[in-house]
Amino acid sequence: MHDRRMRFFNLARGAAAISIALLVAMIFILISSKTPWTAMRYLLIGPLLSFHEGAVIFNAQYLYQVLAATIPIIFTGLAVTVMFSANQFNLAGEGCVLAGGFVGGVLGVYLNINSGWHWVVSVLIATAVCGVIMLIPALLKVKLGASEMVTSLMLNFIILYVVLHYLNFHFADRTKGATMTKEFKPTAIIPSLVAGNSKLTVGFIVAIAATILVALFMYRTRWGYAIRMIGINESFSLYSGMNVGWTIVLAQVIGGMLSGMGGSIEVLGRYQTYLWRDLPGYGWVGITIAILAKNNPIYVPLAAFFIAYLNKGCLLMSTYCDVPVEMIDIIQAAIFLFFAAEQFLSGYRQKLVVKTTQEDLMKLDVNQLRGGGKSHA
Amino acid sequence: MLEQLFQAIFKADFLFAVMRITAPILFATLAAVVAEKAGVVNIGLEGTMMITALFGFLFAYWTQSWVIGVLGAALVGALLGLMMGFFSLKLKTDIILAGIAVNMLGGGGTIFLLNMFTGLRGNTGNLVTPNILIPTIKIPLIDKIPILGEILSGHAVLTYLAFIFVFLMWVFLYKTPVGLNIRAVGENPDAASSVGVSVLKVKYIAIGLSGALAGFGGAFMSMYYSQGWNSGFVAGRGFIALAARAMGRGEPVGGMLSSLLFGLAQALRTKVSGLQGVSSYLVSLIPYATTLLGLVLYSISLRRKERKHLIRPVKP
Amino acid sequence: MEQSELVVQMEGITKIYPNGIAANREVDFSVKSGEIHALIGENGAGKSTLMKILFGLEKPTEGSILVKGEAVSFASPIDAIKKGIGMVHQHFMLVPSLTVAENIVLGMAPRKSGLLIDYKEAVELTLANAERFNLHVEPTARVADITAGMKQKVEILKALVRGAQVLILDEPTAVLTTQETAKLFEELKNLKDQGFTIIFISHKLNEIKELTDRITIMRAGKSVGVYDTDSINEQEISRLMVGRDVILQVEKEEARPQEVVLQVQDVHYVNEWSKRALDGVTFSVRSGEIVGIAGVEGNGQRELVDILFGLRLPEQGSVTVAGENLVGRPQAKIRELGVSYVPEDRMTFGIAHTASIEENVISDRFRQKRFNRGPLFRMQELHKESDQLILDYSVLCKARSQEVGMLSGGNIQKVVVAREFSSSPILIIADQPTRGIDVGATELIRKKLVDLSREGAAVLLVSADLNEVMELSDSLIVLYEGKIAGYFDDGQWDDVMMGEYMLGLKHQSQEEIERASYA
Repeated sequence: MHDRRMRFFNLARGAAAISIALLVAMIFILISSKTPWTAMRYLLIGPLLSFHEGAVIFNAQYLYQVLAATIPIIFTGLAVTVMFSANQFNLAGEGCVLAGGFVGGVLGVYLNINSGWHWVVSVLIATAVCGVIMLIPALLKVKLGASEMVTSLMLNFIILYVVLHYLNFHFADRTKGATMTKEFKPTAIIPSLVAGNSKLTVGFIVAIAATILVALFMYRTRWGYAIRMIGINESFSLYSGMNVGWTIVLAQVIGGMLSGMGGSIEVLGRYQTYLWRDLPGYGWVGITIAILAKNNPIYVPLAAFFIAYLNKGCLLMSTYCDVPVEMIDIIQAAIFLFFAAEQFLSGYRQKLVVKTTQEDLMKLDVNQLRGGGKSHA
Repeated sequence: MLEQLFQAIFKADFLFAVMRITAPILFATLAAVVAEKAGVVNIGLEGTMMITALFGFLFAYWTQSWVIGVLGAALVGALLGLMMGFFSLKLKTDIILAGIAVNMLGGGGTIFLLNMFTGLRGNTGNLVTPNILIPTIKIPLIDKIPILGEILSGHAVLTYLAFIFVFLMWVFLYKTPVGLNIRAVGENPDAASSVGVSVLKVKYIAIGLSGALAGFGGAFMSMYYSQGWNSGFVAGRGFIALAARAMGRGEPVGGMLSSLLFGLAQALRTKVSGLQGVSSYLVSLIPYATTLLGLVLYSISLRRKERKHLIRPVKP
Repeated sequence: MEQSELVVQMEGITKIYPNGIAANREVDFSVKSGEIHALIGENGAGKSTLMKILFGLEKPTEGSILVKGEAVSFASPIDAIKKGIGMVHQHFMLVPSLTVAENIVLGMAPRKSGLLIDYKEAVELTLANAERFNLHVEPTARVADITAGMKQKVEILKALVRGAQVLILDEPTAVLTTQETAKLFEELKNLKDQGFTIIFISHKLNEIKELTDRITIMRAGKSVGVYDTDSINEQEISRLMVGRDVILQVEKEEARPQEVVLQVQDVHYVNEWSKRALDGVTFSVRSGEIVGIAGVEGNGQRELVDILFGLRLPEQGSVTVAGENLVGRPQAKIRELGVSYVPEDRMTFGIAHTASIEENVISDRFRQKRFNRGPLFRMQELHKESDQLILDYSVLCKARSQEVGMLSGGNIQKVVVAREFSSSPILIIADQPTRGIDVGATELIRKKLVDLSREGAAVLLVSADLNEVMELSDSLIVLYEGKIAGYFDDGQWDDVMMGEYMLGLKHQSQEEIERASYA
């Protein structure tokens, strides 16, 4: 019972954090925009409803676009969830998205499989490659104690330049103006789920499936259990007989694989060629999502939808008003800071704890009166 | 090709370039050093440099004075540091997450702010005028010395300042009461609080200073190095600084040496990319790969030192 | 005793912690100006708490403090320091990479030209004070490089330099060699001659006899008397210190020990403070018996238990379980050999506090076939297992999914014990198993230990609770300064006798000690 109240408190606290973040955004909009109220309208309800000649219509295409936008960030959100659950601050998801996208893209151009399996195989190979890449910071951490944070940050840049090198010197399509690969074979392109140009592909199904698999993995398998216990208390896990080093490596490799999968699915789903020339940023968004989802895989799609929605809102705001699209970064940073603040509204939590403890004590007394000494469930 | 390379390196103007390139990394490394000495991990250096670079430039542009620009950048940096401190020390946001948040702000937030203040998108293009750039100085006697003069004279004011700060940081940490408190708090906060030193206050000071130093680094980037601001031009220097600090054993002079190493790697990259048949991308790798390698070697050397017979894990 | 003679007067001090533990119960404690006063008692007797209150590190639940006749209330150590009270902690409050002089002037560094520290002044200040108090230190030496004895002096100097007139020393000789201890005593007597008052917390009777003027003895949170050192002998002190008010009765069948399960052979170990913690320890624990290790904390028990569970590596010697070597093996392997361990530090090692009760109670067995079908857990089997354990060990909780950190101390320990006792171990190492928990949980855990041993397990019980160790054990080992001081297997022991061995007053012959090993 008191768990329910605690959960309500946590929800309320989360809502408060998000509200503050949006408030901060609105302040900026008020300052910088000539049409602040229109801008805010686009931000908050634009993705759902269009105002067209006085009528309000539900915009299905926007919804599909938002859903399509969740695909890569569900994967990176899942990746961060797994890694943070093991208490590993590995930030190379960013680089793995790029690497995964590149490998997937190249395979999409050159691999010769004449069926729908083409894209599936490309994605799987990209996933495996990124898992191997993640071995670098993981092994360095476990064998040498090197901070996975710094090594993963460096790795991001190294991956970027390696990819750019190969893109420019080996795989670029010289007939095109900008740097990009040749076009993907039609069998490599991930099929769409709905009509229209929303880019909502089968990849979305894969993302949801991945969510379910990761949730099962983390909460219904022995490896996920070990990852979580090690993240909570490494000493306890060691003492209980778990293989801490190996599990830490596993968590990071899975993170890499998920990021790589997200990157390859995004490239083969959204584009006709591989054209990323910079780190796409999905890795960082993944961190925001993991924090919003409180490291629980099941909530990742929800959090992803929330962020994608806001992102679309910012895009609309920048298209139709004069507010730059980068507002989304400011919102994300604010959500970050307040959501992850443990002491935020802690005064209320204290009161709640005291109240529930008192109630528990009263219940225990009553039980003892009834002659029962032990109770559970 | 290797011959060309050697010829290029042992020229005075190459070493001049090394100093110039090292300066912003050095500021950031010193920022990392002072924070870590107080036991605070500042991984928001990258974002801090982005934001202070922007504000420094804007302040200079509005007042047409580079001095105001530099000081403004330092001030904004200090404020960012204090904000991180507030969130992590008072609201108990994990300091690493707070740093990531600052980096996020530094990413898109700066583009947003630039647009808000000037209407420009992503870079400062034609706002640049000579007044707002950091001037270079010729040092009177030294610049007459052959070779050495070419290396040392003619740098921007802030370049000299970066290296002077190394000395100042050393003095600060090892010769002032505040520095003493910082080192005590970082190593044994219980010992510090048992004699009445306010651990919180000291940490705030350290992280504020850290931000301010990163601010100098940012100002250097936009007001001299790149002669303008554009998004993404800090290119990971804030992260390299973290590795440089670690390899320098957390000391100012050590940090300077490892910063010089990375400056060298970066300067090499410029030289090498000018050569025939070399991919500029692979060359861009060099600083980051060097950092990674350096960190690996450093970790190996640390491992060797650890006590062998105590294998009790560290408390969480 | 005239009022004006008393420099410190603590009256009716009661301290009850939020978890319900009463560390001090209406304690009266007073110290005469210019004397060396010993405060002695076992661990858990309440002496550290009392002094923490005096030094402002804790606030009393009830009671008053007078310093030099003036009523005071300390919100923090700063206030206590202002009133002339200084404390030298057992674990040094020094910054290792700073020099002696820097540590001494921390927070009050002398300045020159406004901004910089005047190091010369700091060094001179250090030397001048060292001279004055006869505590010779090297101002420019790094604290990390100096000996424990030196560190001790620096800490004392630190307090004196801040104007302390009353010095509280918490177990100062725990980390010192014999020579350093002798030196320390000289210095303390010197300070006494200069008019300083010293409160000396210890349990080493010989030292107390040598150094102090008066003794206050504490037991179970109360003061059991104040005596002039000269008018009381060590046996009497030990009796007062260690004596039991309540005799704990445990029903026990006679033990019928079988084969040797645990064999500790000639183990030596030097700990992280460079102290020889274990100096040639050899003993066995057989199937079907409970071997208790008694001793005041700090005599090697911590290091011994860590070695037994693979958390430390001995310099020398061997440890085998059922003939198999244990040294250097990972915990998984040690558990496979059939060893279970109830850790002293339950929050660090015993549980993952934000995980559920279920997740905690299966942490040693979650890989077993019976809980897994292919890649997935058999959730029903896990639920059955945890429900059964919760029932068998009377864990009071709302649900198996409840966060284990929310439970009371006793229930948390029951969760730990439920896990450790239920894996059919051949050897159980129980380290302070009933410390800080309620009566109900205590009874349950003790009964289980006895039951398991009678069913054939070998039990090693390490406890600072003499009552517990005397009642539960079939045979007893007393550890003193890293060596076995005595081995007893006839059940004919009492607190007086135990006290003498635990406090170093008596020591068995080599022959008698060797009986501890059945290899």
